[in-house]
Amino acid sequence: MIKIDNLHVNVSDKEIIKGLNLEINAGEVHAIMGPNGAGKSTLASTIAGRENYEVTSGSITFDGKDLLELEAHERVGEGIFLGFQYPVEIPGVSNLNFMRTALNGVRRYRGEDDMSAAEFMKLIRVKAADLKMDMDMLKRFVNVGFSGGEKKRNEMVQMAVLDPKFAVLDETDSGLDIDALRTVSDGINAQRRDDTAILLITHYQRLLDYVKPDFVHVLANGKIVKSGGPELALELEEKGYADVA
Amino acid sequence: MTATVLETYQSQLESVIGAIPCTDALRRSAMDKALTAGLPTPKDEDWRYSDLKPFRTGAFALSKAAQTSDMPIQYFADKPAARLVFINGQFSEERSDLGTLSDSVRLKTLTNHCQVDTARADDLLEGVDALDYLNTALMRDGIVISVPAGVHVTAPVELINLVTNSAKAATHTRHLIELGENASLTLIEQYVGDATDYWSNPVMQVRMGEGARFDHIRMQSEGSHAVHTGKLYVDLDARATYRGTSIMTGAALSRLEITARILGTGAHADINGAALAAPGQSHDTITRVDHRIPGATSEQIYRTIADKRAKSSFQGKITVAVDAQETAADQSFKALLLDRTGEANAKPELEIFADDVKCSHGATVGELDTSALFYLTSRGIDPDTAQQMLVEAFTGDALIAVEDDDLRNALMDNVSRWMQERSKGGTQ
Ligand SMILES: Nc1ncnc2c1ncn2[C@@H]1O[C@H](COP(=O)(O)OP(=O)(O)O)[C@@H](O)[C@H]1O
Ligand SMILES: [Mg+2]
Repeated sequence: MIKIDNLHVNVSDKEIIKGLNLEINAGEVHAIMGPNGAGKSTLASTIAGRENYEVTSGSITFDGKDLLELEAHERVGEGIFLGFQYPVEIPGVSNLNFMRTALNGVRRYRGEDDMSAAEFMKLIRVKAADLKMDMDMLKRFVNVGFSGGEKKRNEMVQMAVLDPKFAVLDETDSGLDIDALRTVSDGINAQRRDDTAILLITHYQRLLDYVKPDFVHVLANGKIVKSGGPELALELEEKGYADVA
Repeated sequence: MTATVLETYQSQLESVIGAIPCTDALRRSAMDKALTAGLPTPKDEDWRYSDLKPFRTGAFALSKAAQTSDMPIQYFADKPAARLVFINGQFSEERSDLGTLSDSVRLKTLTNHCQVDTARADDLLEGVDALDYLNTALMRDGIVISVPAGVHVTAPVELINLVTNSAKAATHTRHLIELGENASLTLIEQYVGDATDYWSNPVMQVRMGEGARFDHIRMQSEGSHAVHTGKLYVDLDARATYRGTSIMTGAALSRLEITARILGTGAHADINGAALAAPGQSHDTITRVDHRIPGATSEQIYRTIADKRAKSSFQGKITVAVDAQETAADQSFKALLLDRTGEANAKPELEIFADDVKCSHGATVGELDTSALFYLTSRGIDPDTAQQMLVEAFTGDALIAVEDDDLRNALMDNVSRWMQERSKGGTQ
């Protein structure tokens, strides 16, 4: 589904991703682990198309298309979703308006009609209930005054509404208590299908107890330095990155 | 140079003498004062951010009276109490619709002002600076709305000031709004015009009796080559509530000066505004809130946006007299630069002579939040729509005094359209 080949990325003229290779097929869940500052979030933002993340060489191919040719919103139309490590607060924009504009933006990109307000409300009620998010939070401004856990659940509601083919979830598990972790994991597992792929970025083994990855990679200093199966995550938990990477 | 420009204005005086008979002496006195005061200069503190070139490079002729114009007008109220249209400063019977307004209020044009027993030239402010004086000396017409005590005009009154075919010509309109005790009125005032380089120099005087309530929308949507120098004077008696929202999008050079005098305990003034300056435009807002008595409140919320080479300035002065204890006065100004070449200036000024007061002010200048933009686009929202959403959110703060949801949404639609025009215009 997605193929990242010899990717080099500069942020503020500093090279952060230094020759990264990764291929993920439909139906797979991959996990990337690695020390702070390794470049995990930079990789996620580059996949999502953040401006000023300069790809100096290499390529990202998504479903046969050159992803780097597309703007951020177009990538969402193609089926990419980024769950933010730090979801952004946007005062003055209601969560509902935000999600409806997002969904209709994607539908327009795909040449579909806008979803009516009534139809959208029906959809959002179901998705919010699945993630135990009450309607009050949907009426509030985007992420404003949300706790860390509420922000992450909000990310999962957005993912459920947009129903992406490929989701990159950047530390979606951090700052969650055990109940919230379960809810969020259920949300991720619901998105796990034969025709979708998921890339989990995480620090902790505990998310991987709930969402079992097919492959685990270690990212250090801008490169994937080791890959393996789920057992690699346990090994990292035991020994730390220093010995492995 | 300045003297010759003003002398040209002096020569225009004779052509309006007799138009509003009881004001002839006032006109002459005002013109003398204009000559003495002189036109503003960049040294005048209030004019430090405004471009004076249009005033100094020659006089504007008097605009020609026009009975009608086919220029389209955007109305905001579905069922207004009345639609009052002035064209080049003269009341247009053809385009106006008085509705049933005159059943409940005293309504007349300024040209008929002298015929009424209760109305005298004294009702008209002579002015405080050269532009006011020129307005007083050269005004052609205006509306006089007097809402009797206890009368609530429930539907909004729309007041349209339209200028057409007035290249290098000036329109000086004078409107008077008077609210009796516990009276209420909603006014939606608009300034619009064609693409000529006209000058619009209106003055509005508002007098509010005890417990009166005035909801006031003022939209400056002049033509793109116009100069607009608007003045608004509001006097509030005890327990009166003024809720004013100004929206400034038009003109090449625009100034709005608002002076609110709080003269009674328990009065409250909201003086809010949004100014959206497209490439090359210059917008100035000057507010003076004068707390003279104890126990009154005021709040100012200004949000301004400056695009490429545009300038947006705000000077807000709060004065609290020595006796005006227990005053609460707040002021918040935020500017958003849509481009590095945009400019925003803020000059808050607090002159507080009483000791038991709660006053605050804050001013920030920023750019669109790139993290927020990325967040929105990362959800499939295209960049133009994302910017529009952030601009609407930013501007929305300034519209909170508009309680009517439909009206507030209609005003917000204008902000959205402004952003849509901007994205259509591309990189001009
Ligand atoms: N906007 C930025 N400008 C400059 N350096 C940045 C920026 N964002 C991240 N970095 C740097 O890039 C490196 C990788 O950061 P990041 O991708 O956030 O790491 P991780 O998510 O693995 O903890 C760090 O050294 C960080 O300081
Ligand atoms: Mg990170």
